[in-house]
Amino acid sequence: MSEEGRLSVGLISCSGEACPGGTISRLATQKVLRSIRPGYNFVTICLPLFMAGGEEERNFARDYPTITIDGCEKCCALKATEALSGPVSGKVVVTDLIAKEDIGEGTLSIRELTGEQKAMVDHVAAAILEQVTKIKQEG
Amino acid sequence: MPGNSFRKVYVIPCSGIGKMYGLLGREAVLKTVKELRPDKAATMCLALLVYGDDEARKEINGARCITVDGCPKLCAAKNVEQAGGVVVERVRAVDAFRNHRGVDAGTAAHLTAAGWQIADELAADLAGKVDRWYDASEEK
Repeated sequence: MSEEGRLSVGLISCSGEACPGGTISRLATQKVLRSIRPGYNFVTICLPLFMAGGEEERNFARDYPTITIDGCEKCCALKATEALSGPVSGKVVVTDLIAKEDIGEGTLSIRELTGEQKAMVDHVAAAILEQVTKIKQEG
Repeated sequence: MPGNSFRKVYVIPCSGIGKMYGLLGREAVLKTVKELRPDKAATMCLALLVYGDDEARKEINGARCITVDGCPKLCAAKNVEQAGGVVVERVRAVDAFRNHRGVDAGTAAHLTAAGWQIADELAADLAGKVDRWYDASEEK
């Protein structure tokens, strides 16, 4: 599905206030949103708004390919999207890509990101873009 | 999830990924619970709560909560109430801009120096609110 010849792709990140993977998933999502990818139109959706009944958001995820990005194994974004809008076109789980002990514990502010955590953001963003490419290839 | 006692005051921001106010509110909350009032305050993933995670709902049920929302949809306030939390203060990130009209605070992805200053002011305000509600519990 396209808008002005561009493929629209929804990105739904977990909110992840209480775990460092949440901050990494959000930053990676933001990075992809800001990336220049000719031919693509990336759209993000606030997960709690989506879950609480945002019809516009639910319809978007139903009609357009959507990728969920979760910070931990609880996979709130994936589960909620599949329950409310149907199967997702791609999924990224930070803890599948990076060992939990490497990510750290507790909450993570963007002002205290280490160089290693910044690299994790890049890694997760690349994983999201891989999913985007896969969606395009599968048509 | 941070270890929390029942008396802790929960400070829960909206996820707000699309707007600067969401980021600013989130960062103010993280400063409050991590640096300013780690012994009195805690936070929780809003999505986890909204999705109905049993452990999260049990933890929040009946607890005093301060919500911080980035937009007028007030997702945090509404969802925390629905999950059984007692919302004692509804804070809007936009209100932190009363004394900073026209300031460039940044974007949904990053804050400027002015944005961080406003986030810190909001965090100080939240810490004061945490004290009030935590101490009220002590008196009881």
